[in-house]
Formats: sequence, structure tokens, C-alpha cells
Amino acid sequence: MTRLNLTQANINRRSALTGLLAISASGALAACGQSSAATEAVQEFDVLGYAKPTKFFSGSEMRALGAMADTIIPSTDTPGAVEAGVPDVIQGLASEWGDDNFRQYWREGIRRVYKTLSGETKFLAMSPEEREAVLGAYDAKVYAGEIEDTFYRDMKKTVATAYYMSEPGATQELAYEAVPGEWIGQAPISKYPKTWAT
Amino acid sequence: MPDFDVVVVGSGMSGGWVAKELCERGFKVCVVERGREIKPETDYTDMVDPWQMEHLNMKGPDTYEDYPIQSEVYAFHSYTKQFWVKDTEHPYEVAPGTRYKWRRGHHLGGRSIMWARQSYRMSEIDFKANAVDGFGTPWPVDYAEMAPWYDHAERFAGVSGDNTDDVEVLPHGGVFQPPHEMTALEKHMKSAIEAKWPTRQMIIGRTANLTQPTEEQLALGRGTCQARDHCFRGCSFGAYFSAVSATLPAAERTGNLTIVTDVAVHKLSHDRATNRVTGIRGVDTKTKAPVEITGRAVFLNASAIPSAMILLNSADADNPKGLANSSGHVGHNLIGHVGGGYANGVYDGLQEFHHYGRRPNGFYIPRYRNHTEPGDGYLRGYGFQGGAHRSGWGGKIDKVGIGADYKARVRKPGRWNIWIGSFGETMPRYENHVRLHETKTDKWGFPIPVMDCRWTDNEINAVAQAAADAHDMVEAAGATVLASNKGKITEAYLSAPGNGIHEMGTIRMGDDPSEAPLNRWNQSHDIPNLFCTDGSFMTSSACQNPSLTYMAFSARAANHAADLLRDGVI
Repeated sequence: MTRLNLTQANINRRSALTGLLAISASGALAACGQSSAATEAVQEFDVLGYAKPTKFFSGSEMRALGAMADTIIPSTDTPGAVEAGVPDVIQGLASEWGDDNFRQYWREGIRRVYKTLSGETKFLAMSPEEREAVLGAYDAKVYAGEIEDTFYRDMKKTVATAYYMSEPGATQELAYEAVPGEWIGQAPISKYPKTWAT
Repeated sequence: MPDFDVVVVGSGMSGGWVAKELCERGFKVCVVERGREIKPETDYTDMVDPWQMEHLNMKGPDTYEDYPIQSEVYAFHSYTKQFWVKDTEHPYEVAPGTRYKWRRGHHLGGRSIMWARQSYRMSEIDFKANAVDGFGTPWPVDYAEMAPWYDHAERFAGVSGDNTDDVEVLPHGGVFQPPHEMTALEKHMKSAIEAKWPTRQMIIGRTANLTQPTEEQLALGRGTCQARDHCFRGCSFGAYFSAVSATLPAAERTGNLTIVTDVAVHKLSHDRATNRVTGIRGVDTKTKAPVEITGRAVFLNASAIPSAMILLNSADADNPKGLANSSGHVGHNLIGHVGGGYANGVYDGLQEFHHYGRRPNGFYIPRYRNHTEPGDGYLRGYGFQGGAHRSGWGGKIDKVGIGADYKARVRKPGRWNIWIGSFGETMPRYENHVRLHETKTDKWGFPIPVMDCRWTDNEINAVAQAAADAHDMVEAAGATVLASNKGKITEAYLSAPGNGIHEMGTIRMGDDPSEAPLNRWNQSHDIPNLFCTDGSFMTSSACQNPSLTYMAFSARAANHAADLLRDGVI
């Protein structure tokens, strides 16, 4: 079976995107601290009236998002959220997919949660262990109902969805068969120990 | 000299069958499709992997603007929306105080591309239902008459099912391809339900996916189902039945088929002197240029609402109520299926089992109400579709925890999850109908439809009992019910008529010409060279999925028309 034209087009488009992802992902990993890019970005987009911005989130917002995403889904024996390109998928949602309400919801949410997680030491300046402790404690309070934070849960769900739909998330972390070839209704868990990716 | 022997209006589930049968009998057939041509290599998206899907395959704001009605369908997403009409381009209205959801696509193959493939026969209790309780008009055929045509339809389409099933209300002819296996929990659930209620049965779904293709199917370029469950995106393997994968290629290889796409039929032409239809009149949807195609006979297969509207819109001085409408029933008796009773539960046992592949099918619990068990305040009945699987990542991501532990928890297959939902029969009532809007037209000049359809206590009471049954059966399987709508069913709670996507009944069959536009051969009582074999002909809806029945009647009617054409009767 030859691949379809449409699929090929998607692959090409995705390859082009992946190139971009690699750059920004390494940027996010390397980065520490905040810059004034966020403010600049807001001004720029205000001028444009949010008409089809190519990149909505600023560099500092992306770094904050990347740090939170990689703490929710860190690299273990399989890649983590940033290596899987999760922040860039969310950049794409804000920049190309969502409307102004969506964009504002995410901008305000990322900034607020980031601020909440940052004490004297900014979240980005913390070690991975410190990030896990701080975010883990916050997550526990949200899910225990002590703190109401719909945005945090939306962010976590979106990060996880982008991760488990990514190629490493689907094929390395979970199990994926593009073409299973057959259906087995009752199979031993020992043979198929992982959650199916789709 | 007419252009063709037969003009078939519509290329979907039923029109493809009519074309195949007539072409194979040696007649020149023109299939007229109002939508575009389908090219599997560019229109099918079944090879797209999750990470290739833009924006996580989430429906965007543009989707809700262009597809406010179609986007509600379970089979609609960003990689299937090419198969659904833009609601902005295809408006309809509902009568004041009523609701209606019309789900459809305009393209070669019609809804045979996006159907759920569940394939069930009607049984003798269905064919006798109207005669027994007096609703509607009696069916003019019985099950024995239809059985060989169902065999024919199942054999050619290719239906996977269990040949050892013995279900009185869902007969079969023993021609199924191998069945899908039930999951560990489904097997347990089947035993539990059948033990608690000896009046009920649970079977594996019967689905038009090839599990062991025949020589005939392979020769048409169709292959074995690969268990991907991407059917709603189209299948590059041709593994599920559609007009594009099966009937139209079969018709095409005879050399007798002409397909005309992008032509919307607006009227039938009628010759007063001979009382025959002489062809169709419509417009090229791209240029709006008028189109006329003539034939010795015409088959309406445009689906229940457009087929009725074409007849109503063909009214003239001699036929003020519309063509083939001396009965006054064209557009009336609009029926379908009413869904809504559901339950969902989780089960903690059977941890040692998982499943492999993605089954494009579920289980089925055939109707037992008003058959082996009484119904509480309604006539007829309902069946259930369902499935039981270990839950995937989607059900686990919005839970407490982060980091390596969170990943490990999502990686481990989740608890078993059961879902079942009811699909019920709706009663044929004259007052439920579609009519032409008096002033408004679509952008091609065809009157838009006005739906006027209401649920009655019969549908509401049936769904109420179905909801309670769903709850009780999930519980009987030993599961903990997480959600159900037991005790919650009111008219407002039910989804709108039409949401079952099985609209039918608008040009029904019956022996009495004053009660039904079509006779026992799907042939107009009024005009002998006019036939209709889409869902319009359905005299009652039964509760099971109707497509296999459309196939069987289409094949039968086409062969009857072929006899009449051969003998010069029409």
C-alpha cells in the first residue's frame, strides 16, 4: 500500500514544523530567567489585532510553559514533554487554531500559574527536583479541591494530550500500531502490557 | 431516444446497489450525484498518524461556524469533515416548537462513506408490526420474501458476524465472514446478562468490514480489514462496504455505468400522455447551468428527505400535490431511530487481560421489549450497542499526580470500562413530515426543507425504560455504574429527531395506493417507471440499523425493474 498524497503532504508539513520545534525546544531547555520579550510580544500583537499571529507566545512564555510541561511529563526511559515538542504544539494552538479568548486564557493562565509556583526562586531557576516538589504540591491541592484552578487542569490535559499524540509519546511511552492487521479481543496483559496510544 | 435506460438519483448506500444490479443485468445506467467525486488517494485520511494531526485534531472555532450541526456527529472531526456538508451552504428550517438534526454528506458514495457499518436484518416481528398494532400502513412484504435478498446483500457487501447466533429478532442466512472476538469483559458480561435474563441475548456486532474477503471482493480491489478503526476517514484498503469501494466499481466494470457528479436534481420530468417519468432536471452545482438527463426509468436514491422533496417540487397542473403523490403521503410518516438510554461503568477484575488492535465494531443486545419481555407504556422496542475495553490514556490524564509516577500510571492499561446505549424504533405518524419551504431556496434555487417532527410518549417511555435497562445490565455485569440516565428521561432530555441519522419513511411502501406512494416492488403506484429504494420506502423503522435493509430492497427492486424493462412493460 503506497502512502496517500495527503499523508505525504502532512509529513512534509510536519517535517518543516519539526525543524522549528527542535530549535525552540533546545531554546526552552537551555533557557533560564525571564526576558522582556513577553511585553514586546503583547504590544506587537495588539497592533496586529491578533490577526493570524505566527507565534503568539513570547520566548519567556514558552520557556515557562516548557518548564511546567517537562515537570508534568519529564524525560524518563522515554522522552519528556519538551523533547516530544509539546510546547510548540500549544504554541500552534494559540497562534493558528484558537480565538482571542483562547489566547488570553492561556497567556493569563501560564503567567499566573508560573507566578504561583515561583517564590523567591523563580520556577525556571529551580532544579528539576525542586520543580517537581513545587508543582507536585500544587497539583495535589488542585485535585484535592483545596484550590480551584480550571486553567491548570486544562493545561495539564493539553500537555498530556499533545504528549501522548506525539510520535515519542505514542510509540515509545505507550504502544502504537498504525496497522494492527487483526483484532484480538482477549489477549494476555503480559504480551501487551502498555496502554494503546489510540 | 432517452440518454440512458435508467437514471439513478443519488450514489450512496442504496443508489450504488441499484446501479450495480441494473448494470449487471445489461442496462445503461446514469448515476447522478449532487456532491463531488471522491478520490480515495486524496479524500481518505486513514493513513494519518496521531502526531501528524494538526492541532491535536481538535475542532476549531471555524468548525463551529461552518458545521454547527454536522460537527455534533460522533464521526465528525478535522480529518473527516470533508465528508459532511457545510451547514452554512445547506440550510433547513424546523417548524415552530420542533427540533430536527439532519446529518449528511454530499459526495460520491454519500453516507456509505461515513456509516457505522452495523448490518442487521429486519425480522418477521418488524414486518408485521404495523399490521399488528395499527400504526402506519402494513408492510407489503414479509421476511420470507426478503430473506434471499438479504443473503445476496450480505454476501456481496461482506458482513462479519457469528453464524452460530440464534436470535429470533435478528435472523441471518449463515453467510457471515468470521466474527470479531468479544473482549474478556464482554464475554463475562454476556454470561452475566443471559444468566440473569434468559429473555435477553448479547451478541458480537454484525459489521460490514471484511474479515475474510471472497474472490468477488478481492477482484473489486477490496482487502481484509486491518483493525485500525479509522473507517470514518475512508478506507484505503476498501475493507468496509461503501458504494465507492464495492457497488460502484462493480457497476463500472460492466461498462454500463455513467457517473455524473456535481449535479443537484430538482425535479423529475413527467410525460402526461404516457404517464411516465422521462428523466431528471437539475443544475450543475458549480456553474448553476441547467442539466437534463433522460431515461426509460428513474430511481430515487437521494435519501429520505431530498427524494420526497424532489417529488413535491415536481408538482405541476396535473399533479398539484407533487409527482407520485396521489396518496398525499409523500414527505409524511417521517421516522428514524431514537437513541439516548445509556450507562457507563467500570470493572476491576480481569486484570490479566488486554486486547490487541482496534475493533471497528462492538457488541449488540437485540430487542427483547414487547417480544420476550413486556414494554412499560409503549409499543415496539429498542436494542443496545456497546463495548467494553480497558481504558486508554484519555481517561487517565486528568487525575492527580505529575512526573515519572504519572507517566507510569498512564502507561499501564486502565480499568475495564463498559458503555452501552439504546437505539429505538420511532412510530410512523402522518403528522411527522418534511415539506418545501414556501419562499426560501438554497443557493441553487431548490426549496429548503422544513422539518416538522415531534417525539411522542411512545418514544419517551421507551427510552426511559432503555435507560433503566442499561443501568441494570451494566450493574449485572458486576461493574460500578459511573454514569447513566436512568430516571432522567423527559422529552427535553432526548436528543432531537434526526439525530439517529436514519431518516426514513417519507415515500413509504404499502399495498393500498391511498395509504402509500410505493407498491411492494418499491415502484410508484401512480407512475410505473418510477422507483425509490432509499430510506424513504421504509414503512416502519424497526430498531436496528437500516442500511442492510436498504441494500436488500434496492437489489430486489432493481431486478424487478430490470424484468419490466426487458419485457417492455416500462
